[in-house]
Amino acid sequence: MNVAPRYLGRGSWLSRRDPRLLILVLVCYVFAAVQVWDLRILAPMATLAFLYYQSARIPWRAVRANWAYVAFFISFIVVVNTLITGGELRGFAEEDLHIYFRLPLIHTPISAEMLSYAGAQLLRFGSMAAMGFPIAFAIAPGDIGPTFARLLVPYKFAYALDLTFRFIPSMAADMQTTMDAQRIRGYEWDRVPGGPIGRMRRLGPLLVPVTINAIVGAEDTIDAMDLRGFGTGKRTWLRELAYGRTDWVVLAAAVTLLVTVTALSLAGLTRLWVPDLLISLAR
Amino acid sequence: MTTMTGTSSDSMWEVTTRTIVYAAIGAALYAVAAQFSFLLPGTANVSLRPGFALVTFFGFAFGPVAGLFVGLVGNALADQISGWGLMTSWNWSVANGLAGLIAGVWAASMMRGSNRLVSAAVGSAVAVIVGFLFVFTDIWLGTAESFSVALSDNYLPVVISNVIVAGILTPILVAAWEPMRASMGR
Repeated sequence: MNVAPRYLGRGSWLSRRDPRLLILVLVCYVFAAVQVWDLRILAPMATLAFLYYQSARIPWRAVRANWAYVAFFISFIVVVNTLITGGELRGFAEEDLHIYFRLPLIHTPISAEMLSYAGAQLLRFGSMAAMGFPIAFAIAPGDIGPTFARLLVPYKFAYALDLTFRFIPSMAADMQTTMDAQRIRGYEWDRVPGGPIGRMRRLGPLLVPVTINAIVGAEDTIDAMDLRGFGTGKRTWLRELAYGRTDWVVLAAAVTLLVTVTALSLAGLTRLWVPDLLISLAR
Repeated sequence: MTTMTGTSSDSMWEVTTRTIVYAAIGAALYAVAAQFSFLLPGTANVSLRPGFALVTFFGFAFGPVAGLFVGLVGNALADQISGWGLMTSWNWSVANGLAGLIAGVWAASMMRGSNRLVSAAVGSAVAVIVGFLFVFTDIWLGTAESFSVALSDNYLPVVISNVIVAGILTPILVAAWEPMRASMGR
């Protein structure tokens, strides 16, 4: 079990940016992307997102399992949404659809509009995931605390975030040790009858000792922090963060994207668009 | 200090060193425990996360602030570790956080007397049902195409699975923690 934060983008162009930039750019992008269904806008946005992702130089081999997970989930979202909603897609009534054929049994129409919708979903979620990856892999784990503190998150919460990242490897190790100890006693989590509820109930012998042990063990950390006067005054951070000129340019571009897309959305110009090519195929 | 006895609800919003450390531990545990997730059969994007019981448990045990943090940050990190991305489904992380927050408020105001385990189970159910209403923002975000999709494919599956998870595991965690808390003088 290796869930420790991995600094895979070390030395890349993106990792040399102020880490606050990566958070702010992601926020701008996500709130821009959720307003857009028009493939003509989404395609260039997704291209920018993947160029941004490339600038983090995250090795494909190290994250291909993560991408497989993303692809699986996006496919699920797209397929289920289109199957369940059937003929009603983004304001299109069924009589307005350009239908190719209907699925057997459930009679869901497969149409030009549905394909456009599926393409838009793929681009939206794929590009949002691409923008999110650098936060995990191109920010030094030690920079998490100061990054959020300098983003005006109260310093206690910023410190809690910092602590969370530091605790993850030791919690994972504790979990593995406990699982090994329980297996010696005959414990199995995933090879038991009873379906999902059976598997859930089987997690008790693992979750309870790990949790209680972690809470009891936390007393040392609490004492250490209290003895150093944590919480008695405003905290400073050893790591200084400063935006460079490039950071300001990238941030300005991200804000411009968000403002532009919001304006287009308010003007009704980001709705689902269906290419003529797809419509002609239905004739 | 916030306790499971619900006797100090006026200080439940206080953020002490203890709150910070326990919240961080809970979030890390939730993120790590997410590896035991599995996709709920018949749903679009709902993972059954048995570790969700930690969200309501930390809310009950250490207050609404810790519960909020464990749900919000723990779920975001779990998504990140699994590959989905820190903010791709940010509204689900908020929903998790709200469930933890409500569990904490419930503990401070409702968990009195000797039926604390039953109260933990009931409080968990209430926290999940109310907190996860936030996933209806999927309609605005486009993850769910319509109200019926959001209801049948996202809200109901996650509420049912999380109520079962929290209903089974949270009282077990509370039962294990109560004597430890007493022996530690908390």
